[in-house]
Amino acid sequence: MENLARLVQDAARKLLEEKKVDLVIGFEKGSLPLRSTPCFVRKAEDAGKLTWNSSCENNLANYLRKKTEKVGVIAKGCDARSIVALIKENQINLDNLYIIGVPCGGMIDRKKIETILNGRELLASEEKDGWLILKGNGFEQAVRKEDVLHGSCATCRTGNPVLSDELLGEKVPEKEDDYSDVAAFEAKTVAERAAYFAEQMSKCIRCYACRNACPMCYCEECFVDCTAPQWIGKSASSSGDNLIFQAMRAFHTAGRCVDCGSCDRACPMGIDVRNLNRKLARDVKEIFGAEAGMNLEDKPALNEFKFDDPQTFLVKE
Amino acid sequence: MGNPYLPMPMRLEKNFIETEDKNIRTFTLSFINKEDEQNFKYLPGQFAEVFAFGKGESPFGIASSPTEPGILKFSVMKVGKVTTALHQTPEGAVIGVRGPLGNSYPMEELKGKNLVVIGGGFAFTTLRSTITYILDPKNRGDYGNLTVIYGARNSGLLLYKEELAQWEKRSDITMVATVDRGDENWKGKVGFVPAMTKETAPSAENTYAVVCGPPIMIKFTLPVLEELGFPPERIIMALENRMKCGIGMCGRCNVGNKFVCKDGPVFTLAQLKTMPNEY
Amino acid sequence: MLISKNDLPVLLDRILGEYEVYAPVKEHGKVEFKKISSGTQVCLQYSNSQKPPKGILFPQSEKMFCYETVQDGVRVDEICDCSKKVIWGIRPCDAKSFTILDDAFKNEQYRDPYYYKRRENTVIVGFGCNRPGATCFCTSVNSGPFDTAGSDVFLTELEDKYYVEGITEKGKEFIARYQLPDGSPDTSRIKESAVVASKVNLDGLKEKLDVNFYDEIWDSLWEKCIGCAACTYLCPTCHCFDIVEEAEGGKGCRVRNWDACMFPLFTLHGSGHNPRPSGKERVRQRIMHKFKYFQDKFQQTACVGCGRCIKNCPVNLDIRILLDAIQQRESGEGC
Repeated sequence: MENLARLVQDAARKLLEEKKVDLVIGFEKGSLPLRSTPCFVRKAEDAGKLTWNSSCENNLANYLRKKTEKVGVIAKGCDARSIVALIKENQINLDNLYIIGVPCGGMIDRKKIETILNGRELLASEEKDGWLILKGNGFEQAVRKEDVLHGSCATCRTGNPVLSDELLGEKVPEKEDDYSDVAAFEAKTVAERAAYFAEQMSKCIRCYACRNACPMCYCEECFVDCTAPQWIGKSASSSGDNLIFQAMRAFHTAGRCVDCGSCDRACPMGIDVRNLNRKLARDVKEIFGAEAGMNLEDKPALNEFKFDDPQTFLVKE
Repeated sequence: MGNPYLPMPMRLEKNFIETEDKNIRTFTLSFINKEDEQNFKYLPGQFAEVFAFGKGESPFGIASSPTEPGILKFSVMKVGKVTTALHQTPEGAVIGVRGPLGNSYPMEELKGKNLVVIGGGFAFTTLRSTITYILDPKNRGDYGNLTVIYGARNSGLLLYKEELAQWEKRSDITMVATVDRGDENWKGKVGFVPAMTKETAPSAENTYAVVCGPPIMIKFTLPVLEELGFPPERIIMALENRMKCGIGMCGRCNVGNKFVCKDGPVFTLAQLKTMPNEY
Repeated sequence: MLISKNDLPVLLDRILGEYEVYAPVKEHGKVEFKKISSGTQVCLQYSNSQKPPKGILFPQSEKMFCYETVQDGVRVDEICDCSKKVIWGIRPCDAKSFTILDDAFKNEQYRDPYYYKRRENTVIVGFGCNRPGATCFCTSVNSGPFDTAGSDVFLTELEDKYYVEGITEKGKEFIARYQLPDGSPDTSRIKESAVVASKVNLDGLKEKLDVNFYDEIWDSLWEKCIGCAACTYLCPTCHCFDIVEEAEGGKGCRVRNWDACMFPLFTLHGSGHNPRPSGKERVRQRIMHKFKYFQDKFQQTACVGCGRCIKNCPVNLDIRILLDAIQQRESGEGC
């Protein structure tokens, strides 16, 4: 990891020195333990601020839309897939972009750490050989990194960026698809699923952190903000309306969502936001054999219609 | 103190199509409760929140003058949900009103002074109020020369055409109506408001200017006034930030530490120069 | 006065006989202020609630009035939450936030009847922080872990009991009714050991903000902000709201919902013009509002140092770092 951080700095410094880009977007050390924070570097001498570790959790593709500067971006697997998806939607001009790919073994889920700590406050952390040492007032606890990876990272099989101008470090091992979590949720009864969503959505405060953290949510006017017509109620007190918001968002990102988990991580209320998106990602793959942002060639699944497309999501065949 | 969020009911007496493009209508409302009428004490420049029941409320400058008892007038352009609903409201229906809100033009300070009223397009509503107020026989003696320069894109878009014609005939007001583009029916001046201001060249001596109009008009009119010798303290403007509560609570209309809804909407150019440019 | 920890649930049950009681309750690993039905639900072993308790007096969503068009007019029914409430065990930062909301919800002409009705009917029981969190910076904003500002009654946690002080007349009357055993223990050692480690230097900040509206520092400070409302909705002092209709036909209600200066729609004019078109202007507004405009008007900072915005920002845009960056800039530089 330390080595990767140095490679990131060197790559950024070189790009800026050679004036190949005006700006490098990466991560720097955050202000809290287990936090890195997006960082915008415009001078080669500032490249030393950049870092790389298991808390580089934000999807940096979110900062690339409609940028006019020439940008270099530090992209892990999910960032790269989002970039590809956004290129296809004409939101990013590839000519103005330089992708520094970083193979990613997964990011740590702060919410899982919170559960482990159960009210104790984390003051420092250290990452070592697949272990994470959590430190606080009067305690020190080691946890295995793989046990505290974010859900989207645990099931991710594109840790190696699908598109990059240069790739740093060593590739991570490829993984097999695993949608067993979706299947398990589908196996629940309708009532159980409804109860689960009602409970989750009752926590929503409509801060729209999920939407704004999502690289694919870039509508000029989101349907929830629309007043004429007003599609859904604006108050957070109705978990029904909150669910409609999430369900519509999932439909709107179906075939486009790369399951980076940004929405989930952004939610301050700990809602399982990802659940719906993931189900649709699985369905799109199963029905149409399509996955968002895997390469520049495939047409986005919902932009293309073939006569022999399965219609299972419309009608029972 | 009553609940400032509650609307008072008013009856829509007249729903009048003001402009040829039918986008602006003038509503004449009458008070349903005598008590509401007594409490609704206002001056030109103030605004009110007008409520289409079931659709929502929006703020509008009051176009009537306090010298027109029993009624309130609002001229409303159709732009969104609330304004569309208001346009469709039949005469006789009940409409909610909250107000009067905000500050007014400094009618007291203007006493004994000359006044130049400069307006453009749709932003002539509170200016109509001001002119009507000053021309009222009870008030006319309190004020000096009154010059009005009012322009619209074409003659069909001028508001209050009958009144403009009446004012043109009077000797106690200099009325200059102008259009950007003339047509066969238009006998008056053709030209933009800033140019017309330059041509009219009102003396700045002992004179205030009130300027309301689209940003582009204001941008080019202010240098003309400056050239004519109007100091920023005597140039009066009204801001139109997005508002909801109208009473300085909901937080969205602030420009620096001032709320447009409560501390404004009327500011002098001198005041605006000390405020951030967030309007 | 004193109340032993074991007797607290019984005391709360007695209070429940007369008041709606809101207190910290632990659910799914998170503590929130909830309306309780029994004293045993309360969890005072907590750092702070995820959501600020401001929502008890200023709900995220509340009906202001309802109406119905009837023959020959409209019937308007005003809504009033007139219930007597107790907020039990809120942290000093959150208690202080009510003194800030008090200023925000009135001006020389108007008073917000919904907030003030609840405020007047509510007894606020503050709860000192023996162990302030790592993101707490209350001592930097004129407060501290045992600040009684905003509290009517104040609790200090001792080993097996709470020391209960009446702070305001309202609080003294309230607590007198429950006839607790007398006692005024020495709390100085507890107070000394409650160290707030995180500091933000606010000296001279206001003077900087007075002149740096056009400073180029704002061009970069906001850059990573994604424009959500996690910071404002979880802020105990943020008080902006939207007013919407929930109606069908001529029948419905006027509702107000929390709103946030971080949203573009907040200031968007009907014409399409937006005086705060990008995150730069919106982040500047948030900082200016808390540390300059509010101070201009009410001589107090609209920040209580609770640290919620720090902990919950999806991109770790830390207000302490933001303020430090402003402080480190020489005033006048780049203006």
